Amino acid sequence: MQHEQFDHPDRPLLEQTDAEVFLALKAGQTAALSVLYDRHVGLVYGVALKVLEDAQEAEDLAQDIFLNLGKSSYDPQRGVLRTFLAVLVRSRAIDRLRSRSTTQKMLDRWQLNRSQMVASNSPAEYVSQQEQSQEVQAALAQLSESQQQVLRLSYYDGLSHSEIAEQLQMPLGTVKSTARRGLLKLRQTLTDYIE
Amino acid sequence: MPSDQLQLLIAGYVLGDLDREEAETFEQLLAENPALMVEVERMQKALELAYAPAEVLPPARLRSAVLLPVQSTLTQSTLVQSTQPIATAARPKAFSWGKVMGVAAAVLLVSLGISNYRLWQTLQAVQMQRQQFEMLTYSLRATSANNPATARVVVDPNTLKANLIVSNLPPSPPGKVYVLWTVLEAGAPLTTDDKSAILTEVFQVNAQGDFAETISVPDVYRSETLITKVAVTLEDVDSPQAHVGSPILITGS
Repeated sequence: MQHEQFDHPDRPLLEQTDAEVFLALKAGQTAALSVLYDRHVGLVYGVALKVLEDAQEAEDLAQDIFLNLGKSSYDPQRGVLRTFLAVLVRSRAIDRLRSRSTTQKMLDRWQLNRSQMVASNSPAEYVSQQEQSQEVQAALAQLSESQQQVLRLSYYDGLSHSEIAEQLQMPLGTVKSTARRGLLKLRQTLTDYIE
Repeated sequence: MPSDQLQLLIAGYVLGDLDREEAETFEQLLAENPALMVEVERMQKALELAYAPAEVLPPARLRSAVLLPVQSTLTQSTLVQSTQPIATAARPKAFSWGKVMGVAAAVLLVSLGISNYRLWQTLQAVQMQRQQFEMLTYSLRATSANNPATARVVVDPNTLKANLIVSNLPPSPPGKVYVLWTVLEAGAPLTTDDKSAILTEVFQVNAQGDFAETISVPDVYRSETLITKVAVTLEDVDSPQAHVGSPILITGS
C-alpha cells in the first residue's frame, strides 16, 4: 500500500507525524520506538492503570504494548495512532483482568462500574465516573443520547461498529455517522480548550 | 475552518473508522494540505478530554525496559545470524517442530540430490521462522508480603537474550549470590536439576538493590509453554548450581 504523504520524510523523527514515525518503526528504525514511547506512554500507562488499578500490572501491559507495536495491526491510513493505542490497551487490560483469578474482585468491581455506565445514559453520571471538568460535562450534555452512547461504546469500550449496531439495533451506516457527528459536536463545543 | 464534510472525515480518521475509499481521499487531502494535521490533533484532544483518563507517567525504568531489548535485539541479531550454524541438526535439546521440519526437509532434499539453491531456500525459511518469536515478559514478585522487591525478565527468543531488571532487592549477604532460575514443567525433554530448573543467571544487586543487564537465556524460551516459573533464590557463591535456596522472587500463576 502506498502512503503518499508519509514517503521519505526529510524531517528528523522528532518532527514527523505519528504515522510517519510508525512507518519508520515498521521499516526497522529503532529510534522511532523511543519517539512514540515518549509521545504516548502517558496515555497508554494512564489507561492501563485506570483499568487494572495495579502499577506493576500497568507497567507490564504498557511495556508489552510498546514492545510489540511494530508488529501491530495499526494502519496509519485509517486512523490516528493514539485512538488505536487507547482502544488496544483498554481491551488488553480487560483481558488481563478476566484471565487473573486472583483479581476476581477487581473484575467484579470494574464490571459493576461498567454495567452502571451502560445502564445509564446520563452524561452527568458518566462524566462523574471519568472525573471530568464541568466544561467537558457541559459539552457532553449537548450531544444527543445516541451520540454519547456510540462514542462511549466505540472509544471507551472498544466495540466495533458492527457490534455497536447490533447492541443498539441501529444500521451500520448510522453508527458511523452518529459517532462522527458526535465527535465533531464535541470538538466545536470545546473549541476554547483545544485551540 | 474546514468544511463540514471535511470535518466529518477528520472525525472518522480520529475515531479510526475510515473505509478504504475515505482513507484514500483523506490521504490525498493530507498530502495536499499537511496543516490538516492541526485539526486532527484538536479533534483528538476533544475526544480524549471527554473519554480518556488523565495521562499518567510511569516510572523511568519502564522506558529502559521498553527500549533496551529493542536496541540489543538489533545488535545481537546480527551476531547471531553470522555465528549460528545454519544446520539445526546439532541442537538436539531444542524442541521445536519448526526446526524438526527444517532438518527433515534439509535431509530429504540432500538425499534426493536437489540443487543447493532449493536447499538454501528451505533453510532460509527455517531461519525466518526462528526470527518470528514474540518478545516474552516475566514479572516476578516477592514471596514475602513485606518485601518490596520486584524483577522483570524481558526475553527475545529470537536472539536468546533477555533484559533482567531487578528493583529493591536487598544486597546479598557475604558468601551469597542471587540466582535466576527457569523452572520447567515436569518431564520436559531438557536437562534440568532435581527441581526441574535451569540455572539462568547469577547476579548481585548494587547498594540501592537494583540490577539491570542483558543476559543470555536457554533455548527453552523458544518453547515457552514448557516454562512454568521464573524465580530468584539466594545461593552460596561457591555452588550456586546447588539450588538449595527457596524462591525470594517468583512469577505468578
